[in-house]
Amino acid sequence: MSITTLVFAAFCAVSILIYWRLPQHYRPIWLFAVSIVFVITWSWELAGILLVVATVNFYLGGWLGVAENRRRILLSIGIGFNILALLALKYSGFYIIALTNLLEKMGIHTGAGGLHLLVPIGLSFIAVQMISYLVDIHNRILTPEARWLDFALYVVYFPKILSGPIERARTILPMFKQPKPLDTQKVEQNCWLIVIGLFRKIVLADTLTTIIPAAIFLHPGAFAGQDLVLYLLAYAFVIYNDFAGYTSIVRGVSGFFGIELTSNFKLPYFSRSISEFWERWHVSLSNWLRDYIFFPTSRALLKRIPKRDNVTNLVVPPIVTMLVSGMWHGLSWNFLVWGGLHGLYLLMERLSTVWSPRRLLNELPKWRQVLSALGVFILVVLTWIPFRMELATAWQYLIRMLTPSAWIKPDAWLLWRYLIGKAKVNSWTEFSLPDIRVFIMLIPALLLDWKQSQHKDETFFTKWPVWGKALFLASLTLVLVLLSFADTGAPFIYVGF
Amino acid sequence: MTQILPQKKSFWSLLLLTVSFCIALAAVLELVARTPWLERVSPYRSVGNFDNQFEIKWFRLQDYVKQQGGVDIIILGSSLANTGLDPDIVAQTYYQQTGVHPRIFNFGVDGMTIAPNSVIARLLVEHYHPALLIYVTEMRDYIAGNGIDYETPFLNNPWLHYQTGDFNLPGWLEDHSSALQHYLPFRNWMSPDFSGTMPIYLRRYQVTTASGYEAEQAVANNLDYPPNPNNPEDAQYYKDYGNYKIAPSRLKNLQTILNLNQEKGTSVWIVEMPVDPSFYIFVGGTGVHQQFQQTIATVTTSAGSSFLPAEACDNIPIVGRANRWHLNYMGAPIFSKCLGSQLAVLAGQQKTSFINGNSLK
Repeated sequence: MSITTLVFAAFCAVSILIYWRLPQHYRPIWLFAVSIVFVITWSWELAGILLVVATVNFYLGGWLGVAENRRRILLSIGIGFNILALLALKYSGFYIIALTNLLEKMGIHTGAGGLHLLVPIGLSFIAVQMISYLVDIHNRILTPEARWLDFALYVVYFPKILSGPIERARTILPMFKQPKPLDTQKVEQNCWLIVIGLFRKIVLADTLTTIIPAAIFLHPGAFAGQDLVLYLLAYAFVIYNDFAGYTSIVRGVSGFFGIELTSNFKLPYFSRSISEFWERWHVSLSNWLRDYIFFPTSRALLKRIPKRDNVTNLVVPPIVTMLVSGMWHGLSWNFLVWGGLHGLYLLMERLSTVWSPRRLLNELPKWRQVLSALGVFILVVLTWIPFRMELATAWQYLIRMLTPSAWIKPDAWLLWRYLIGKAKVNSWTEFSLPDIRVFIMLIPALLLDWKQSQHKDETFFTKWPVWGKALFLASLTLVLVLLSFADTGAPFIYVGF
Repeated sequence: MTQILPQKKSFWSLLLLTVSFCIALAAVLELVARTPWLERVSPYRSVGNFDNQFEIKWFRLQDYVKQQGGVDIIILGSSLANTGLDPDIVAQTYYQQTGVHPRIFNFGVDGMTIAPNSVIARLLVEHYHPALLIYVTEMRDYIAGNGIDYETPFLNNPWLHYQTGDFNLPGWLEDHSSALQHYLPFRNWMSPDFSGTMPIYLRRYQVTTASGYEAEQAVANNLDYPPNPNNPEDAQYYKDYGNYKIAPSRLKNLQTILNLNQEKGTSVWIVEMPVDPSFYIFVGGTGVHQQFQQTIATVTTSAGSSFLPAEACDNIPIVGRANRWHLNYMGAPIFSKCLGSQLAVLAGQQKTSFINGNSLK
């Protein structure tokens, strides 16, 4: 069940109405039941796997909570279990062929299509949540959850199961027990979160996804330099609006249950430094990486050499953290390079603070803030190249984009002759003009972010007069209706992780 | 409580106002779409079908009927009919021989085999009640699975479902909303191939005549010599058309078209397209072709209709062909004249003029 369908809307409406009619004691049970139903709509095997993961972590957490000795071993077993489950299921492609061949050699037939393992959606998100749960118990900042059902709900809670946000047990479990009361103001805010999410996903991300030729990320050599730049820019807004749109929708839905989820995006493309970018992009993952990779690594290194400007202390934590981030996205070279590049950017920023004292970004003159934001944006956009395609293709993409001879001059003469009816063309691409549709779509994308940053409020629409809100909603409804007639639609990118 | 009440009120007023604005916006767009101004600025219309040539023909026929007050004869078929018959020449020839000027429209559409055409035939007859439906056919119409890539998306279209009695909201909107019809030709504006498909659509829109004829400019240059199995293109044709068999499902489609005579009172005339004789080599020779003709003639005559074999109009020179199947701007007038004469003969035989009530004389 995709979250942008009317079926999902009806599913949520029924779930919410019944939820608030129930006494508090039964609400987690109901939420658990509807979450399981939601998971089963994707696959019933997935529901089984998630319940096994939840049960194992629940008992491991319980043992960790009461154990006095061998706590480190228990924690290692827990972390190992979650990583192994992730590797075994998500990266089955690496070993499944070898395993099939081995079984065949042993005389065990695996069927016509060979072995198949289910790739559980959202497992990367669940694995890191489970690890943080166990680590927090180990560090005695969290007591283990006593009720299996509440813990299983933490694992399968349907608004966050597909692609997060990555929630900490210590913040979300209390909300299952005591949901935030829902007043009309909250209702309106949640509605707006959903509306903004739909706008980002369907109007911005899906439209831009369709505009980008699929072949450009496979055969960049067949495209002009300026097209590579333009469509890379478009992709940067696709991935942002796709994921931010998803998060906004699920936050809105979850808000209706009185459970507030983390805001994952805080206008990341307006960041004025790379470290600020990581405070604004996929915030729940960044925070997790900071708390469970960066800080522990830094602390461990500082224990060995207690000097902040020591080269190892400066270099290792950001590089390791961003490499882990890359690996979390996928075990392939391109994600490692993507993470490595971000690690490198962060390292440069850290090194610069060694020589000159760091100034607060808000204290910089406006022009420097704008220039910094532009620079950060360019650096981030460049990292989307290895993120989106195979490494060899990414390299080809980058080189062609930077080769002046690959840039083709627009044929204004042909365009003029076509417009006055003197020339025939088989395709408008013969004019070699930049794809104006990308610019058209970037206007509302930037406008939305700019307005949100000006108001310092993502649901700034709530402050508009009623007629303004109604006009916006009516226009958006018509746009969505018109877009529904196009032969488009794309799955959420991060559901793939 | 005192804080919540006004918010509750504003929530419902927001909802009510949004619905009102939605209706008002839709109404304004609908009004604008129905003005002659928009018709001048953007005359293109669509019902959301993937085949934009079908849509050009659908709306051109609407305009034709509006202008002429009706239509007497509709020519139906694939691209072969589209580029092979100029209705104006057919009507002129018929007029010269009978003194009656019928209103003829060419509804030939690229890629449409007899399967989707059997559905289109019923739609056209139910909407326009022509006196005669000429179905232009050829051997490939009856190969099982031929043209399925056009057939499936065409038949799955919500508007077509609506037209065939299966009510659905998108189909209803596409059929009734002028604003939507004017938007739909551009609905895939975000698609990467839009820059290629739209110029073709615009060109087709411009070159299709008011009576639905689209002239083909290409001239064949490879018909002087027989097909070569070593040529990859010809080898594919051998593979596709060799071992020729008439699929029973396709004969059923033919029967559906012929039944319109009994069910709706529209006469049906099955005309075989005079393709280049070298085509018959692919299917196994003239013997196979004759067998095909015999089968079609038997089915047609037993339904009380007539069949015109390809030999009746085999005077097309090679220069009049665009390829083995299609006629070009030089061949189409020759075939059109021939068909006009044959139509006059048929009218004489059946003692009718194939004219609806208020025809132009």
